[in-house]
Amino acid sequence: MAPLVRLHVEAAARRFGYRSVFRDVSLTVSEGEVLCLIGPNGAGKTTLLKVLAGLLKPTKGTVTRKGRVGMVSHHPMVYGALTGRENLEFFRRLSVDVPSSRIGELLKGLSLEHYADERARNYSQGLLQRLSIARALLADPEILLLDEPTSGLDDPSTQAVLQLLADLRSRGRAVVLVTHNFDRVATVATTVGFLVKGALCTLPPDASLAPDDVVRHYRSLLADA
Amino acid sequence: MRDLVRVAWAVAAKDLRIEWRTKTALLSALVFAILVLAILYVARDPTAVSALDIAPGALWVTFSFAAMVGLNRAFLLEQENHAFDGVLLTGASPTAVFIGKLLANLVFVGTVEAVGLPLFVLFYDVPVFARLPQLLMVTAMATLAFVAVGTVLSAMAVRTRFAELMLPVLLLPFLVPPVVGAVQVTARILAGRPMSEMMGWLQLLAAFDIAFCTLAILLFEATLDE
Repeated sequence: MAPLVRLHVEAAARRFGYRSVFRDVSLTVSEGEVLCLIGPNGAGKTTLLKVLAGLLKPTKGTVTRKGRVGMVSHHPMVYGALTGRENLEFFRRLSVDVPSSRIGELLKGLSLEHYADERARNYSQGLLQRLSIARALLADPEILLLDEPTSGLDDPSTQAVLQLLADLRSRGRAVVLVTHNFDRVATVATTVGFLVKGALCTLPPDASLAPDDVVRHYRSLLADA
Repeated sequence: MRDLVRVAWAVAAKDLRIEWRTKTALLSALVFAILVLAILYVARDPTAVSALDIAPGALWVTFSFAAMVGLNRAFLLEQENHAFDGVLLTGASPTAVFIGKLLANLVFVGTVEAVGLPLFVLFYDVPVFARLPQLLMVTAMATLAFVAVGTVLSAMAVRTRFAELMLPVLLLPFLVPPVVGAVQVTARILAGRPMSEMMGWLQLLAAFDIAFCTLAILLFEATLDE
């Protein structure tokens, strides 16, 4: 049986006033797939991710989601005046059917137990990123959208996040991962897309995902753009 | 319905917990309320105008402008770390989130009013105790109207570059009708007039409550897209 399509985007475009951010973007992400999105600064990756998440409406086209969405962005999306545990408890209460034991699991899984009762405002960037990942995973979403999830993390934390991504992939989660550093996430990617000048181009299914090949392809796209 | 109550309660409790910890908006609003009451009292010429004549206006200028401080804060705290995106991602109903924000704002403004009212009695020496239930009723009705519309406008204004300046500009036209009604009713209450004289204004205030709350709930979702 073919894996279930979790995220389907059809000819989506987004503008802010007269400025077009991306146009005619179509993509499909199925269970167990990790789509790695690469693009230069200002290419529209974060806006595309927000459209995929439903935080922004596409100006044109459609986005269909089958399942709950979790998102990690440049902003941790947590309240600085609340502790890590209070933040997770708050988001748990807003979600449907998330047991309170889930908070303990995530705090332990992301090594946040010792900081759980400190206010998020006092967290380092790495701790905030881990708290943000915990928030995104709280409802065990079927679709995960991650914008540079390893940024600000030290090597052990990066490895832990990559391991987590591999686990999510093996558990059939659909993941879209934005990165500037493909080398770091190459081991978990199953598909690669390039967002250059507002247009999305994905590698064919049989293309090599070796970091050198992907980077070479990306550079040639940039040169042609 | 249970989901709506659960989400609204969680949002309100979170807002109040944050305000309790920081106390920035509450202290600013209280200081502002005390200052306005005191300045309006001192600026009055007691030989020309009696305290009772300016008391209703002073009370409502104080309450409505102090409320703006709190309303400004309602969505500014959601801007930090883009926390509100996290709220939307949970799939919680925007109506429930709005009701939660509205509840928190009502508690905030109610607290300012609870402190402001005894000070008002102290400064203006007005006979409120025998008429406290009527005064509380009109306060609740007018507060609900301008806090409902203020909450939705705060959600809109927060996405603009000058959010703190924008809210008063947007809110003031909507503030005028309920505040005029509240001043009229308060003046009659303080003068000891019978309830029948105020019914028209009370009905108008009730109509504003229904209209503003309905509009705010319907429009809130539209304010969420950038």
